[in-house]
Amino acid sequence: MALTIISLIKQVPLPSEMRMGDDGLMDRTKAKSIINIDCQFGLEAGLQLKKQYPDAKMIVCSMGPPSFEVALRTAISMGYDEAYLLSDRKLGGSDTYATGLAISTMLKHLGFTKDAKEPFIVLAGRQTSDGDTAHVPSQVAENLGIPQATFVESIKADGQGNVIAKRIIEGGYQLMKLPMPCTISLTPTGVPPRKPSLVGAIKARSLPITVFGIDDIGLGTEKIGINGSPTIVANVINLVSERAPVIMSEGHTDTVMVDSLITNFKKGRNILEKKEKVEKKILEKPEFPFFDNRNGAKGILTWAEVTNGKISRPSIELLTPARKLAEQLGNDTKIMTLLIGKNVKALAPTLFEHGSDEVIVVENDKLEEYLVLPFSSIFAQVIKERNPEIVLFGATTSGRELAPRIGVKTGSGVTADCTGLEIGEYINRKEKIINKPILHSRRPTYGESKLATILGFVYPQISTARAGTFEVPPREKGRTGLLSVFIPKLVEKDFVVEILKTERDEGVLQNLFEADVIVSGGRGTTGDGLKLVKKLAEELKLQGVKAEWACSRVVVDEGVAEYAHQIGQTGKTVRPKVYIAVGISGAIQHIAGMKESEKIIAIDHNPKAFIFHYADFGIVGEYEDILPELIDRVKSGYTFGMDVVKN
Amino acid sequence: MSNVDTVKTDILIIGGGPSGLATAIHLADVLKQYDKKGRILLVEKGSSIGSHILSGAVIKADIFKTLLPDVDFNEIPLNAKVSSDTTVLLSEKGSLKLPFHVPYMNNNGNYTASLGQICRYLAKKAEEKGVEIYPGFSINEILYQDGKVIGAKTIDTGLDHHGRQMDNYQPGTRIEAKLTIFAEGTRGSLAKQLIKKYDLQKGRNEQIYSLGCKELWSVPEGNIKPGEIYHTMGYPLNMHEFGGGFVYGLNDNKVAVGLVVGLDYQDPTFDVHDAFQVWKTNPFISKFLKGGKLVEYGAKTLPEGGYYSIPKLYVDGALIVGDSAGFVTMPALKGVHLAVTSGMLAAKTAFRAISNNDFSEVILRGYETLIEESAIYKDMYPVRNFRQGFSKGLILGAFHFGTQLITGGAGFFGKLKTELDSEATKKLDELTFKPFKERFKGKLEFDKVLTFDKATDVYFTGVNHDEQQIPHLHINNPATYETVNIKQYGAPSQFFCSAEVYELHTDKQGHQEIRIHAENCLHCKTCDIKSPGDGITWMVPNGGNGPEFQNM
Repeated sequence: MALTIISLIKQVPLPSEMRMGDDGLMDRTKAKSIINIDCQFGLEAGLQLKKQYPDAKMIVCSMGPPSFEVALRTAISMGYDEAYLLSDRKLGGSDTYATGLAISTMLKHLGFTKDAKEPFIVLAGRQTSDGDTAHVPSQVAENLGIPQATFVESIKADGQGNVIAKRIIEGGYQLMKLPMPCTISLTPTGVPPRKPSLVGAIKARSLPITVFGIDDIGLGTEKIGINGSPTIVANVINLVSERAPVIMSEGHTDTVMVDSLITNFKKGRNILEKKEKVEKKILEKPEFPFFDNRNGAKGILTWAEVTNGKISRPSIELLTPARKLAEQLGNDTKIMTLLIGKNVKALAPTLFEHGSDEVIVVENDKLEEYLVLPFSSIFAQVIKERNPEIVLFGATTSGRELAPRIGVKTGSGVTADCTGLEIGEYINRKEKIINKPILHSRRPTYGESKLATILGFVYPQISTARAGTFEVPPREKGRTGLLSVFIPKLVEKDFVVEILKTERDEGVLQNLFEADVIVSGGRGTTGDGLKLVKKLAEELKLQGVKAEWACSRVVVDEGVAEYAHQIGQTGKTVRPKVYIAVGISGAIQHIAGMKESEKIIAIDHNPKAFIFHYADFGIVGEYEDILPELIDRVKSGYTFGMDVVKN
Repeated sequence: MSNVDTVKTDILIIGGGPSGLATAIHLADVLKQYDKKGRILLVEKGSSIGSHILSGAVIKADIFKTLLPDVDFNEIPLNAKVSSDTTVLLSEKGSLKLPFHVPYMNNNGNYTASLGQICRYLAKKAEEKGVEIYPGFSINEILYQDGKVIGAKTIDTGLDHHGRQMDNYQPGTRIEAKLTIFAEGTRGSLAKQLIKKYDLQKGRNEQIYSLGCKELWSVPEGNIKPGEIYHTMGYPLNMHEFGGGFVYGLNDNKVAVGLVVGLDYQDPTFDVHDAFQVWKTNPFISKFLKGGKLVEYGAKTLPEGGYYSIPKLYVDGALIVGDSAGFVTMPALKGVHLAVTSGMLAAKTAFRAISNNDFSEVILRGYETLIEESAIYKDMYPVRNFRQGFSKGLILGAFHFGTQLITGGAGFFGKLKTELDSEATKKLDELTFKPFKERFKGKLEFDKVLTFDKATDVYFTGVNHDEQQIPHLHINNPATYETVNIKQYGAPSQFFCSAEVYELHTDKQGHQEIRIHAENCLHCKTCDIKSPGDGITWMVPNGGNGPEFQNM
């Protein structure tokens, strides 16, 4: 029984902060391409698994233009055996739905179906840096009809045909057991990708790569490419950093540097002069007739995610955009919320009080913890019965895998990790109609450098909303609504994946959302096990400041801190009044998780650290010199201007 | 994967610069000409060919006609042909154009160029001829057997700072080669090991070096014409410092500027990068850059000991070519044509070895004979004493050079000796003139328009190093480093480093220590050359690490 390990990879441009072209501008034409970072972790996870299965066949697959061969050859030089590329002009403009369909069709063509005799495992990166959707792994799994685990950090085989996956969840992790075949998507927090070996590179130089066109794999054109995709990108605008230049502390000793910081901090940060917005040219709106293509779909369905017996905060935040959309749609549009779990009925009033009009309850003892297979099945059944026009999820690790899996079942495209949701219209020049009403889902992409507006034309329109972006709607005590019970049809196969262990610290998560000051340590501060970072937060607390300590991904990787403290994981944006980044270089995921803080102080020894581009105040220095000085100041009453709550 | 993989080849070339590529191209040509087979494998530590290549450069381009006789000369990516060539003597604010050239510095018929671009082109040609080129792999070990060189091994990756194997550990690949060509460039870290092991410098002068810092600028139309070149002497260097600046006008309104300074200077606080910045403020220089923008920065050392510093160039199973061998001619500081020539001669020697299936010194010593008969000798021998003459200051140097011109290079004293650059540095309390910071007081505040601090310049190199690896800069003796380098010399590494790798940190108690930011390293190797006392060893980091020069 030989195992086949299949890695799905994508080639992406090198993240823009790495390279400048002539005259300091990013030159995309000359931009180097790399294997998407998350995919590299997927490749490495496969190579790690091979240690347990020395006879495993290693296959790497990609979909894209012929230039993607470079990435495939790199994978070979890392230790893979065979490479396949799906490359066809007709695939151009495919959205994630179409991509998931095309890749799974290629895998089926290669014999990897759910009924295959030999076991296989499909590995992928969590998401790509030029798309950030995290959809494709889920869509591939659903198309192949096999179980999945996404946001996985590491995998191990149990020797009995199962894979034990460590899946990252908000505030912790889960260990799950999946039977093979299955699909796993890897976060960039596992074993870092190995360097290619010379012997591998020599092999990669001459190894033939099999290139398929869509005809080769029997894929039609109806559901792929720009015309077959259920969603389109309607608009992309550049996101300009709203941070004014950092004010660096000056001085030759640590004391003077800290004095300088405190003085600067008191004076306030640099403010960007708001440039007058250029009047947008208003395109003449053609006189096309309005067309409502909802075909009877009505209402907004949201998911109430339950963690530790409570409705998770992102699920409640979700009711804010849901209410706005309902109002924009008018016509008595209702918000339905699906509440799945064990003995969860008691949670329904919370949802009513925050804005749900109807709560649909599914209770089952086997559903105490979220599992993608039964949950997606339940959703599909509810959607079929209720026919909503919009389905919304919090963009948590669960929401982000659940939504695309459901999307494949309903034929819908999904828009991931939205920061803006609005009802609008679409001028369809081809068909000479104006589609209205239609959901405009806005999401940052390309490493937070662009904001794209995505429209979906298949109902329900599905989007996930970034946690921390929308306010928790005000609670209306005593507000109530319709409570209904739904009995889904579930089969044994929906429960083939077993959760072995769940580790979650919600308390820290809550503290981070509510803290006024967050002291966050990066790789540069692990020398003392984060002692000084924690100490600074501790001293602030002693002064009566609402403070909490946090850390970057690497610190968690090195085992110095628990996941709950990590900033920059999916689904968590913190907004303290003061964010103190210590020894943090500024990986894009981290920046995304903290850049909306009111004031940011960065302390790092490396003057060219990326973090300084996003900071208001900076000190170039070693943390073990600067922090003791800062701690002394706090001890003698300095609180970064925060209000003090004396007990 | 615990077993080390082995690859077998006829020829292994370590380094994808002009000498290594010339070796590969010429050997492939000769093999083809005589219908012989031979596998040629070239390994380069930069992420791509050219990414670690930096040169002025004004090149004697005719050499490429010799290397690539079948190629249309216009196809070679040279920049502008030298149209005017002026030597200028600078003072703090003034300049004086010299009405003549320093002998041996005529650039008529030469071309400006980005050597990195040329190397990319040569690599393409080499691949077309069947050479296998693998960039992004570092070699850190020479393989020996029975006193012979039998190949080399790429670095083990997936090690942490302490050298412990991590989960993604990947052992290096053993490359077993009949002949290994060391073409690592200046102060090659393997060539250094080889020279030491076989005592190849015996009876020769020590190699001495200079450090060049270079910036590439994009300037407004009209600032300088393509092919308009200037060499400067004088300011900001004093009589104890050997070197000079260059301004090369390039096509598309680009200009390359740089300052090259001999590392036999005495002042432990001397800073070539900062001196380069000061040099740019002279009105004669700044006018070329006015209104322009910095595009790229880089630095490299170059061997300038000359003829008498060339080590023995062969051992059983190995040859040394190019800068690793010290083929640079003074005072013009030209090495590219010599690198190519030495590569071609190494290729001829390698061909003889393949033909005779004898890779021992018996055949390989023919390489040195070929060099003695070649243009390398003609270029280097007459100026064999040139650089040494200047090691005791410019006045004495000019005197020596004068006598050498009359006597055909011998001078009145015969072979002049060199001393190691690291030993030329004086202790703080031995310095008889103003230290660097006082000399240029008020001039070391960089405006980030015309002048840049090191950190900013480093940003314009694209440099990158994997965080998880054994630090590639090694202080040989931490105890004496503190007592000698820091206490007596004031930690010269913080000044001589071209990329702010070394930082002297003083804590509250006044204790001083050196902190190493290896991630900034531009692979110039000055620290390996110039550190007094027990010194610093520069080792290769992981493959693909280092600067990402585009057009240097």
